[in-house]
Amino acid sequence: MEQENVKVWDTLKRDKEERIGQVKNLVKEGKVVAAKDTVALLEGVIKPGDKVNLEGNNQKQADFLADCLCKVDPKKIYDLHMVQSVIALKSHLDVFEKGIAKKLDYSFSGTQAGRLAEFVKDGKLELGSIHTYLELFARYYADLVPRVALVVAFEADKEGNLYTGFNTEDTPVIVEATAFKQGIVIAQVNKIVDKVTRVDIPAGWIDFVIESPKPFYIEPLFTRDPALITDTQVLMAMMAIKGVYGEYGVQSLNHGLGFFTAAIELLLPTYGEELGLKGKICSYFALNPHPTMIPAIESGWVKNMHCFGGELGMEEYVSARSDVFFIGPDGTLRSNRAYSQAAGHYAMDMFIGGTLQIDKYGNSSTATANRISGFGGAPNMGCDAKGRRHSSEAWLKCGKEYGLQEELIGNLPRGKKLVVQMQETFKEKLEPTFVEELDAWKLQKNANLDMPPIMIYSDDLTHIITEVGIAYVHKCTDMKEKMAAIRAVAGYTEIGMQADEKETEALRKKGIVKTPEDLGIDVSRANRSMLAAKNIKELVEWSGGLYNPPAKFVNW
Amino acid sequence: MLKWDELQKANFTDSNARARAYGLVDKGTFTEFVSPKDKLSSPHLPVLGEAIEFDDGIVTGVGLIGKRPIFVVSQEGKFIGGAVGEVGGAKMVKTIKLALRAYEDVKKEHPDSYEDRLPAVVISFETGGVRLHEANAGLLAHAEVMDQIQDARGKIPVITIIGSKVGCFGGMGFVAAATDVVIMSENGRLGLTGPEVIEQEIGKDEFDAGDKALVFRTTGGKHKYIMQDCNFLVADKIGAFKTQLDEVMKIPFNEIEGYRRIGSLKLVEEQLELVKKAVEIAPKDSKDMWKYFGNENPESLTNMSYDEFMKSVKRRERICK
Amino acid sequence: MALNEMKFEFKAENPKSINKGWSHFGVVGSGDMEILMEKMDLNGSVQVKIVTPVTGFDNVWGMVMEKFIRSSNLGDVYIEINDNNATPVVVSMRLRQALADANKQEEEVDEDA
Repeated sequence: MEQENVKVWDTLKRDKEERIGQVKNLVKEGKVVAAKDTVALLEGVIKPGDKVNLEGNNQKQADFLADCLCKVDPKKIYDLHMVQSVIALKSHLDVFEKGIAKKLDYSFSGTQAGRLAEFVKDGKLELGSIHTYLELFARYYADLVPRVALVVAFEADKEGNLYTGFNTEDTPVIVEATAFKQGIVIAQVNKIVDKVTRVDIPAGWIDFVIESPKPFYIEPLFTRDPALITDTQVLMAMMAIKGVYGEYGVQSLNHGLGFFTAAIELLLPTYGEELGLKGKICSYFALNPHPTMIPAIESGWVKNMHCFGGELGMEEYVSARSDVFFIGPDGTLRSNRAYSQAAGHYAMDMFIGGTLQIDKYGNSSTATANRISGFGGAPNMGCDAKGRRHSSEAWLKCGKEYGLQEELIGNLPRGKKLVVQMQETFKEKLEPTFVEELDAWKLQKNANLDMPPIMIYSDDLTHIITEVGIAYVHKCTDMKEKMAAIRAVAGYTEIGMQADEKETEALRKKGIVKTPEDLGIDVSRANRSMLAAKNIKELVEWSGGLYNPPAKFVNW
Repeated sequence: MLKWDELQKANFTDSNARARAYGLVDKGTFTEFVSPKDKLSSPHLPVLGEAIEFDDGIVTGVGLIGKRPIFVVSQEGKFIGGAVGEVGGAKMVKTIKLALRAYEDVKKEHPDSYEDRLPAVVISFETGGVRLHEANAGLLAHAEVMDQIQDARGKIPVITIIGSKVGCFGGMGFVAAATDVVIMSENGRLGLTGPEVIEQEIGKDEFDAGDKALVFRTTGGKHKYIMQDCNFLVADKIGAFKTQLDEVMKIPFNEIEGYRRIGSLKLVEEQLELVKKAVEIAPKDSKDMWKYFGNENPESLTNMSYDEFMKSVKRRERICK
Repeated sequence: MALNEMKFEFKAENPKSINKGWSHFGVVGSGDMEILMEKMDLNGSVQVKIVTPVTGFDNVWGMVMEKFIRSSNLGDVYIEINDNNATPVVVSMRLRQALADANKQEEEVDEDA
């Protein structure tokens, strides 16, 4: 009876040892398990109800482990709580269909967003929360610690050292949370080698390594073919450079992944140079290695670029530019999503990107009625960093202009991050960007969410750029004025047609709304000939042959 | 539109059909037949609720290279993928007919020096073939164009130009193959069944249409140049095509026949030899063929700039010449 | 299924016609349009005909055209547009480019095509 009173403080450790003991026979040498034994390994180390992290994001995927997880016996393993960055592969949802997993906490889903919404509706999947990347990573260290993590790397040695290299991305943050809380970490790798190129994750944090039958999948998500950039996007890029980048002297920033920012990147060496802005803007980036950044980098614009992840085809180029990128002693890039997100939140003066819808109050969302697409990292960068205490020219100027500053904190000077949304008033198929009510509300109803998923809230938003003009919405002193500023740049959408000419004139006088004419931009010059590179081939030429575009972009 | 001098420097790919037509002939000499002002658009598309264009996606006209009248047909890929319907097809046919009439006139008026003034037909292809919305008329147009090309044979040269985004596929792939001379850029593609159709019919394992590198090394200008399916490879500039056309116009007419790839018993035999060779080599990829024809490092050819490529490329030896 | 056809007529202050007798601009690609402008004695006004597969935006077309004609003081011109889903910004941009082309000097045109 005495023994019952002895408190045990290492149950997690004992549990881990017990689980590992059950699969001892599968380990060949060091920590190596054969690909064919993977399902048995998972059945041995995972228990019903476990929190399981399946690595993958909008770029690399632990696709082999995802497939194997779908093959475990649902009678043995069920009710798993998946905690993972993305729902991107079919297998990510198949585990729910098969009854292996039950609950999900995640950040972003792309092509599977429609199916995810169906699963939620049909009760096949219990949705915890939709997060931003950084927010989800943070919860790995609080209430969502993974019991088992299934990660992915380029190389491993037999002892379990991992080389994640160019696509390090989320691996460190997942492995650290799991390994140090007595969890189990399994890595699929493209190749088991005698000596890894570089140790990105030390062997002591890894329990098993498996050489997958095929290299892991990587999506070239950040490649934009300059051939597809339109004249309108060139016009809006010119407005952004002159009316925002130049106006505030924005030195550190993050770009979204659409064609608007691709156009801006390709105008830096042409229009940016012409405005004399080189050295005054765009020196520091938290950004994936966008191929469309090559001309600006080659022209000497960029001092420093930290990457969330890699980008297919940019490996050699990045390696050859170690003054700009973060390169290991082995000569290859080290990306890291958690650190880059932190930099994007705290160290960047501006976030600029496209969106799907903006409501009459200035809230924006990429949600549609029947797809739970989630957030990814944009909200972490697209919000004012309230904990920021260092200053910069752009940040201070934006704070000085902030119309509610005095109302909120009295006479103190404080900066504000520039959060810029860029979109044409109508998208393809004449879908209006400006709407009375966001589709996010419909999604909330359809998927029974606690609240409509908003990418960027109106109180964080500082600028809206459309082809009509720029609305400097942060300058407004109340919501009424802000709504008028939004109407003024909303063009011929229902919202825009409610604009009052006199009201718009008054806003232009106050500098809250600026048209291309107000900015001194010659609209007739806004065409593709302004771009530093007009197609992928010209990007290759700019890179001196170092950029190797993925096959789907090679049109020659 | 840009001025003629600026057009010469413009990318062929980025230019529209009209700009190409103006730029392919001597400065200031182009006159359009059935221009947009004539508003001769498709009678079929409005019934189907499909957008129309005043020129029905095909620009036709005549200009000069030196003293020679050049009858130009220029297809617009941005309008319904350059698919050929009734009106556009009729414009193509009529343009070749006019070239043949000009041939008769020139011969009559200048019996001793008509070679200097010999008309030519230049067709810039950017099409997937028949416009499905008006398929019967479109198919008929293909047949009639073929007919005209046969009529022109031995009288005036018919020259193909392919350097556009859409390329030249479907029925028009046959038409292009039946002309005397083919000029391409590396951006041009020539084939019969389009990549997407192959993938859809036989599967991704057979042909992955999303793998553009594969698509281009199977149908693109560089491959066609190595295989001798195209006679000349030029850079992606309107001026580069124009300069090559100037050169082709210097070729004595009795030598033009030697540039054909099909159209005689001997040429058929040459093609059959190639088929035999292909069976023997059993290529898994066009790069295997490039290697067979003497390119030691076929991998490197794809990313080479135009100038580098022209310096280092080895082509299949023609049997007939 | 048939195409949507719209007709408008506007009169600007101090109207001025185009230099060329007629002028054509643009290609009917997806999301794009072509514009034909013809000089015509219309008592100073501009007549517009638009043919498009798009329905439900007739009033927007009217507003875009009116704004363009008033801001450019165009008159005595007959404009025909074939459209395929161009957005208002593309329409405005193409109209401006078409007008610039239509106002080139005839001599310049003859010499340079």
